[in-house]
Amino acid sequence: MIGCVRLFGLLVLLAAWPAAGGGLFVVSQQGAKVTRIEVGGATTATLVAAAPAVVAADAAGRLYLSHPDRRVVSVVAPDGSVRSLPLKAQPFGLAAEPDGSRIYVGDWSGNRVIALAMDGAVAGEAATGPDPAHLVLGPAGRLYVAEREGRSVGVIDTVAMRRVGSFPVGDGPFALAYDPARGRLYVANVRSNDVTVIDTQAGRILATVPAGASPYGIAVTADGARVLVSDQHAGKVSVIDAKTLAVTATVPVGPYPEGVAIRGGFAYVANWFSDTVSVIDLATLRETRRIPVAEGPRGLAVAPGAPEASR
Amino acid sequence: MIRTLATLTLILATGTALAHGPTPQKVVQTVTIKAKPDAVWKIVGEFGGIAAWHPDVATVEATGGNAGGAVRKVTLKSGGTLVEGLDEWKGSERTYSYRMSDPDLTALPVSSYSAILTVDPDGDGSRVEWMGRFYRGDTGNEPPENLSDEAGREAMNRYLADGLKGLKARMEGGPTQ
Repeated sequence: MIGCVRLFGLLVLLAAWPAAGGGLFVVSQQGAKVTRIEVGGATTATLVAAAPAVVAADAAGRLYLSHPDRRVVSVVAPDGSVRSLPLKAQPFGLAAEPDGSRIYVGDWSGNRVIALAMDGAVAGEAATGPDPAHLVLGPAGRLYVAEREGRSVGVIDTVAMRRVGSFPVGDGPFALAYDPARGRLYVANVRSNDVTVIDTQAGRILATVPAGASPYGIAVTADGARVLVSDQHAGKVSVIDAKTLAVTATVPVGPYPEGVAIRGGFAYVANWFSDTVSVIDLATLRETRRIPVAEGPRGLAVAPGAPEASR
Repeated sequence: MIRTLATLTLILATGTALAHGPTPQKVVQTVTIKAKPDAVWKIVGEFGGIAAWHPDVATVEATGGNAGGAVRKVTLKSGGTLVEGLDEWKGSERTYSYRMSDPDLTALPVSSYSAILTVDPDGDGSRVEWMGRFYRGDTGNEPPENLSDEAGREAMNRYLADGLKGLKARMEGGPTQ
């Protein structure tokens, strides 16, 4: 019975993909492009403003890109049209409410997070620790900020737009992943070469897991069972078992891997130096494909398909 | 001069907030050498031994050998010291990776970098690849010319190319400059 329900869910999902504006996207900083990667490996690239660093997506399939050098956030609609939101900030980390009603933007040199309404108006801001890097939404009303020079993750109340607490983590926290099933936050620490695991409900650190050299991107599988971390200086991805909280496998990828995203049974890893995306089969933990993209791929995002009504 | 001083003061005052910017740059240099990979690796693979082959290097103070976490303080002939920490050293693959976190703008006009050096077989000889990722000296939005992406690329490319030229000369017995 459970199998039937799962199968039904899968069919609905598969049926929704081709018709919708969703997909997997990678942003190339030097190439100033965002590239959509299909399940079969085909790519479609859209030219955007110069030097996009980070990409986030909402449930309607809209993409948000930060351009730290340009003081701009771009919004790419599912039809490919691009809107530019100017900001008096050095925008880097991004997170979007699933309905797109708010975008959270980290201001790297301004030590704050800015909340933007859909039209780009500033809806609020919260001070953070030094050098806010990546952001991730947690349970309702909570946003986490990797405070790179603070050895901390800031906890932002998104209603009050106020930093209401923090977690001590390793040295150089940069990338974050949140597992809603377990209420867990995974933090990749670039300089201490480890991953901090936080139980956000209990408000405590569960473990510090040694990873490879310079963990720079992180993603958790949909079932929360595994966490994938790119080891930037080692050209590989470490796989952490969420139960034992230990690295159970490493997968060689391209040089200087950064962002990681998971779609279905595959992980996608941006190889910054070689301008490619590695595809890892999560069943075999092998790289099955390397897809060329525009120069300097860094971040990845998965956008669910747009609902029919919004198209 | 006053402007340069003002810029320098600004950089020092803002400290680590500027040390890691959001626009990384690539650098890569390669060289082919008429010597077996193992022979080249014996020289170039010693993390603390860079003064033996890099013509721009005056002296090195090294601790920790070739183990992860080892540190080399590389003082350049042109002035300035690069403090580099070893990330991974894999003798079986003839490669090591390391990084510099605290900038010395008099040595190289970059705020941080990491690099990977690899020796591969190439016919009867070897091919050495030295690649890196760095951030410009001033990672703010309006860097002065001497701390721009271009200045960083030029300096990093020259430093890596000089090193590989020196290594080739050392291995093949030619002059080092």
